[in-house]
Amino acid sequence: MTGVPPSSSAAHTVAVLLDDALVTLNRAFGVLRRRNVPIEGLALHPSGTVGEARLTFVLKADAVTADRVAQQFHKMIGVRSVMVLANDDSTMEAKR
Amino acid sequence: MSEMLSGAEILCRALVDAGVEVIFGYPGGAIMPFYHALPDHPRLRHILVRHEQAAAHAADGYARASGRVGVCVATSGPGATNLVTGLAAAHMDNSPVVAITGQVSRPMIGRDAFQETDIIGITLPITKQNYLVQDVTELAEVVAEAMAVALEGRPGPVLIDVPKDVQNQKIEWRGAQASGAAPHRDPRALARGQSLTPGASPGSLEDGVRAAARLIAGAERPLLMVGHGVILAQAYAEVRALAEKTGIPVITTLLGISAFPDGHPLHLGMPGMHGEVHVNRAIQNADVIIGIGLRFDDRVTGNTASFAPQARIVHVDRDRAEIGKNVPVTVGIVGDARDITRRLVAAVEPRRCERWVEHIRGFVRTRAESYRGDLSPEAILASIYEASHGDCTIVTDVGQHQMWVAKLYPYQRPNTHITSGGLGAMGFAVPAAMGVHLARPHGTVWAISGDGGFQMNMAEMATMVQEGLPVKMAVFNNGYLGMVRQWQQFFHEKRYSCTPIWSPDYVKLAEAYSIPGYRVKEASELADVVGRANAQPGPALVEFMIEQEANVFPMIPPGGSLSEPIEAEPAAAGGA
Repeated sequence: MTGVPPSSSAAHTVAVLLDDALVTLNRAFGVLRRRNVPIEGLALHPSGTVGEARLTFVLKADAVTADRVAQQFHKMIGVRSVMVLANDDSTMEAKR
Repeated sequence: MSEMLSGAEILCRALVDAGVEVIFGYPGGAIMPFYHALPDHPRLRHILVRHEQAAAHAADGYARASGRVGVCVATSGPGATNLVTGLAAAHMDNSPVVAITGQVSRPMIGRDAFQETDIIGITLPITKQNYLVQDVTELAEVVAEAMAVALEGRPGPVLIDVPKDVQNQKIEWRGAQASGAAPHRDPRALARGQSLTPGASPGSLEDGVRAAARLIAGAERPLLMVGHGVILAQAYAEVRALAEKTGIPVITTLLGISAFPDGHPLHLGMPGMHGEVHVNRAIQNADVIIGIGLRFDDRVTGNTASFAPQARIVHVDRDRAEIGKNVPVTVGIVGDARDITRRLVAAVEPRRCERWVEHIRGFVRTRAESYRGDLSPEAILASIYEASHGDCTIVTDVGQHQMWVAKLYPYQRPNTHITSGGLGAMGFAVPAAMGVHLARPHGTVWAISGDGGFQMNMAEMATMVQEGLPVKMAVFNNGYLGMVRQWQQFFHEKRYSCTPIWSPDYVKLAEAYSIPGYRVKEASELADVVGRANAQPGPALVEFMIEQEANVFPMIPPGGSLSEPIEAEPAAAGGA
């Protein structure tokens, strides 16, 4: 486990800010499918910044898995930032 | 001064501007405008393969041998789908490849047109990035960006899909427009140097290096594990300096082989499923492991629950997402293997590990080999080493021969061992060796395959002849898909289901391609025949009739612990 505050929560909300381009969004969904990520709920919205979208989903997994998923998003070209929130927590940490 | 140029001409110019010299490809309907423009750009040497899969493997081989981007080209539909295995292999082994595919014209996309396929969708999970070029004005910039993305950070394949009407579209051209400042590229995508301690926020690089140096200083049984990242970063001298300053013995993974000289007193060998017993035992007894540029793949670790139970692990990797992915890590350092290793060398105190090295030496087994005849893999590989005076690049395929080469060939020079490790794609060796030759035109390259893998891409002999590529081919013929047969013998009650494989007469086959062909049945013929094949100015093929049921030992059963190898035939070992 690296970088994520210790948490016993089995659910995390992940918010990804990324380029609002079809190939980037496809690739983002591909990360969820390819890494066999257990998700519950998925939403895509304009972020408020031109050319940027916000992808939000609830991850049914512990902090270690959440961090791993965040890292897979973080290295994707077109991803601008990744935030992970433990659902029993009240703090949100931006991943660089 | 401006001129009107088509997308196809811009594509060629962008490739020339990016320094591309060799393209592996195969023409077809949707890529014809590109092929129409190509003869006007003699700097781009085109190699006409016999199947697009070979184009991708050859571009991969070229990239690994040269450190530059390998380029392959195919048409839409079947041309593009045939690239898929090669791109997946490049993706798994972090090889910088750019694939350019034709696509049906924009108005036809999404209508199931002739030879239309969603190659962007198909390749999403096996490329670092891919582009559907929607407008000719983007083309030059996309090519420049693709070349940069393929190489930077952790390298990998990138695909550019260019609709036929975009290739034909004409615009006013005002010289090279690609600024290198790619619009979509986020500099944060590049992992910066950083250290990671579990439960803590990411710290500075110096913190990580200091923590690693402290672990090394306090270790009684330390090990260096070196992977492909060391070859990609060309960190050979740094790794050697670290080993020699600290006396820590070095393990090279399958893709790390040749990153550290084989005969060096600190070199232990390859770990994992077919790793030597003493190497795996060293891992299981180590108290600190410094892993540089490897991902602790399951073929290396066996069952991760029992992997290196006493060791605290320092993991140096280019990719932040690898730290802690497969094994728990005490200190993670994100950055270039060469840079980080150089810092480690500066930070560590000189020390020796003589007792530990002596201890490992006690694990070494002299093993009864399983081949009955004298035409053993050792003898064959020794003859290739002798014939090439130890100065050639070996490209291996996938299977038993791949493990024999990995274990037995005495690599001395960096990056002279090239193989499909992560994907394990049979059929890789022959086309990849063509790419290696083009990257190293003055060196000798041997493509070593089994009789199964060779038959997958043997049509590339025609490419070698037509394009003048003097690849030397070795075929280890045991009449079986040997590695699968070995698994059947050990784990499937010797039921040799569909593993006996018939071969053509390879000597006659080679002759049909006007390539000199040889067959070796006994070890006494080796020096003469391999010497003659090696001396051929063009391609040559040597078939070695090896023991049919020879096995690769030792072997960790799939999912098993590194502590429990199979070291001999199951019957002799009391049943498996």
